[in-house]
Amino acid sequence: MSPERFIDLVRAEQESLRRFLLALCDGNSAEADDIAQDSLVRAYVSSGSFLGLSKFSTWLFRIAYNCYLDNKRKKRPDTISADSKQALDIQSIDETDSTFRYQRLYMALELLSEKEKAVIVLHYFEDRSIKEIASILQIPAGTVKYHLSIGRNHLKEILK
Amino acid sequence: MSNHKDIESFLRENRPQVDENPLFILEVQQKMEVVKGIKAEVDRQRNYGRMAIVIALALGVAAGGFLMCMAYLYPFDPQRLEDNIFTVVKMYVEPWKPYLFILTSVCTILLGLIFSRTNKGSVRL
Repeated sequence: MSPERFIDLVRAEQESLRRFLLALCDGNSAEADDIAQDSLVRAYVSSGSFLGLSKFSTWLFRIAYNCYLDNKRKKRPDTISADSKQALDIQSIDETDSTFRYQRLYMALELLSEKEKAVIVLHYFEDRSIKEIASILQIPAGTVKYHLSIGRNHLKEILK
Repeated sequence: MSNHKDIESFLRENRPQVDENPLFILEVQQKMEVVKGIKAEVDRQRNYGRMAIVIALALGVAAGGFLMCMAYLYPFDPQRLEDNIFTVVKMYVEPWKPYLFILTSVCTILLGLIFSRTNKGSVRL
């Protein structure tokens, strides 16, 4: 795949990819963009191995998710969860300020497990099918449905 | 959040918006320039690997085809044992006829798959 062709394909997917990583990184756009760029470079280096067995975007998201997990492993565990819970308790969901709504959403997402968060983000923010999510996260479709259901219930509890 | 529909619509309505970042693609292109050498090396090694697989499969198809011809088509009269190489091969492969067929088919299918994927020009988005 030529660099020009690769960039054309990336241009079509960049917004979606950045949004996916932004949600995974709990609203930290600098971190999300760094991971997005690293994953795109990684995808470019291994673009010769892309055989078209899945969609280009699915392949790209799979690399991005693996990059995100690598990045997460390098970082030490976050200690923000208690603050997030407190912030959720004192604020209302009917707030009109969109920035606040996102903060509230990110804080709620942060309380989910990695798999639940990824499944929720891919399904509701990126409108990906169960099959596509299974391919991106490399887990069976049944497990995706399970995480989706559990994650939805957790979010409902958190945002109550 | 009373039911599933509420949480679903809440999530869909509040999907995060990413800020415009015109430098994003430019930075990616710069990083791509830096790793050009690494990509060339990765591609070269992948091509060698692919070539080795193709050669092995092609040899498998050729050898399998030859042995199948021997097993199925070479005339063999058990009363009149001739001492030539074809007769020896025929006697040796005779009990392995079905397995030979399966192995040759597998090699052919894999070779076909590799060629069909390698020549794929379009990319599904």
